Amino acid sequence: MRKTLWDYVYTAILVLIYVFLMSPILLVVLMSFSGGEFLALPMEGVSLRWFETLFANSRFYDAAAHSFRLALVSALVNGVIGTLAAIYVAHFASPRLANPLRVLMVGPLLVPEILTAIALLFFFFEIGIGNQYSVAIQVGHIVVTFPYVFLNVASALFNFDRSQEEAARSLGAGRWLTFRRITLPAIKPGLITGCLFAFVISFDIFNISLLLKSVGNNTLPLELFDYLRFNFDPTAAAVATVSIFITFVAVLIVDRTVGLRSLRF
Amino acid sequence: MTTLRLDRINKFYGAVQVLRNIDLDIAQGEFVSLLGPSGCGKTTTLRCIAGFETVDQGTIFFGSRDMTRAMPEHRDLGMVFQSYALFPHMTVTENLSFGLEVRKIAAADRARRIAAVLEMVRLTGFEKRFPRELSGGQQQRVALARALVIEPSVLLLDEPLANLDASLRDDMRFFIRDLQRRVGITTIYVTHDQSEAMVMSDRIVVMNRGVIEQCGPPREIYERPASQMVAGFIGQSNTVPGRVAGRENDTYLVETAEGPIRSLGPDGLSGEVRVMIRPENITTDPGGGTAVPAANMLAGRVVKSVYQGDGCILGIESAGGTAFTTNVRADSPLGAGAAVIIGFDARQAWAIPA
Repeated sequence: MRKTLWDYVYTAILVLIYVFLMSPILLVVLMSFSGGEFLALPMEGVSLRWFETLFANSRFYDAAAHSFRLALVSALVNGVIGTLAAIYVAHFASPRLANPLRVLMVGPLLVPEILTAIALLFFFFEIGIGNQYSVAIQVGHIVVTFPYVFLNVASALFNFDRSQEEAARSLGAGRWLTFRRITLPAIKPGLITGCLFAFVISFDIFNISLLLKSVGNNTLPLELFDYLRFNFDPTAAAVATVSIFITFVAVLIVDRTVGLRSLRF
Repeated sequence: MTTLRLDRINKFYGAVQVLRNIDLDIAQGEFVSLLGPSGCGKTTTLRCIAGFETVDQGTIFFGSRDMTRAMPEHRDLGMVFQSYALFPHMTVTENLSFGLEVRKIAAADRARRIAAVLEMVRLTGFEKRFPRELSGGQQQRVALARALVIEPSVLLLDEPLANLDASLRDDMRFFIRDLQRRVGITTIYVTHDQSEAMVMSDRIVVMNRGVIEQCGPPREIYERPASQMVAGFIGQSNTVPGRVAGRENDTYLVETAEGPIRSLGPDGLSGEVRVMIRPENITTDPGGGTAVPAANMLAGRVVKSVYQGDGCILGIESAGGTAFTTNVRADSPLGAGAAVIIGFDARQAWAIPA
């Protein structure tokens, strides 16, 4: 097909959008290799010294581990309850109930995060758990990342031909076996994307963590914020770089093992 | 021997009654079609038999066992869906293997049975393919094979040919019919295509608005329809309204706007009726009427003639104002406007209660 002027214009617009989205990230990565004392441009030489400072700082370690645990639990728990909720809304709820329920389920996306955080804060102090044992913060992360799993699984279910389930039943499989062998493989791509989203978002959440964290247990974004309040050296950029690297590796692993390319958007 | 019996099945969706007193006995090895327009309840009936819909009143027997409330997986049925419903993440072999694995059949046995069934549906060599790598006709045969490989007591087919193109559909009719005869499996086939039902079935159940209008062999359904609806739904028909005026042996005399018409009909017919004549049973004569059966002879005029390749369709308006349709040879001299005498035998006319 011959390229028209518009093809070039579209390409140019696309490139600009990517530059706009990617340049801050690239800049941060770049600055983490800075040899200077401050987070500033132009860079004064190249070094790995800020990574050294970072890895010598056990507070970042602990915060990263805490964030990782929160994100992992959020992804796993939502994988189960998000799927159950999506199945109910897509397959069992009456048509009159299905739409209001769908809106309700994505509620955490619609309500400002800080409101959810305040509500949960009141709730957990009222029932006497308060901010002990990271229960509140974990629940907060689960609540806020729940819609990602729900939406992805629900959309997979809406594209799923349910006569496959009936075929399995007629072939002698009970409900559970039918779910495990037929429905689950069909929604797997949606489920994995949803969990991946939940993980990445949870890793990144700030407001919820700030209000609900238990004493002394910072998440990585909180730790970074604390650090930046008193220091303005490229260690922060190094933290960001490592964090981007971890996310990137996670996406890569998922892509290689189950294949994001099989997902149809 | 009866394999399947529906006893006064009633089903409601809310306040709407979708099945009304459905009674049906299906014998071992029989091929029964459920035929009717969309929304007539044929698919609902099939889904009740399969256990995907619950029955509000009535009983479903498999042999002598009451299976009305049994789960689908306990009914020992093979089902083919309109969408085929193949498992997209499994190969042909895995699709076929599923039902056997669920039944805990040993691996060697499974392989043997899968190979045998694949040969039967002429798909040997396609074992490793995924459904998306097959044509519509091949997917259809995989669906059939998957239902048959578990050797069910009854095979249920829900409009399995609806998604195929016309020429393939014709082939598949005979293919399914042959296969069914060879395997000897009791089969229930849902379709809205009357010619499909006609060529495949031992018995056709014509349904309309949740009731069974008529149930019988194809010939009976076509030649002796029990109601207007059946006559109209199956094939082409001409009808003349009238009143029963008398009976000579097995022939009714029906008084109509066209004069008296002699016709066969069910016993005990009286009052208002409609006489039905199939287009192919009408003889036309442009001359003095010597070439048409003497029992019923009407004068008329050709109002249209449509060339169809293998013949012409003639639209004729009779002296009494009734519209008739019939087929003539393509080289017939009858064109629009021509005067014509039409005739049909009393044995080829059928009176239906109006």
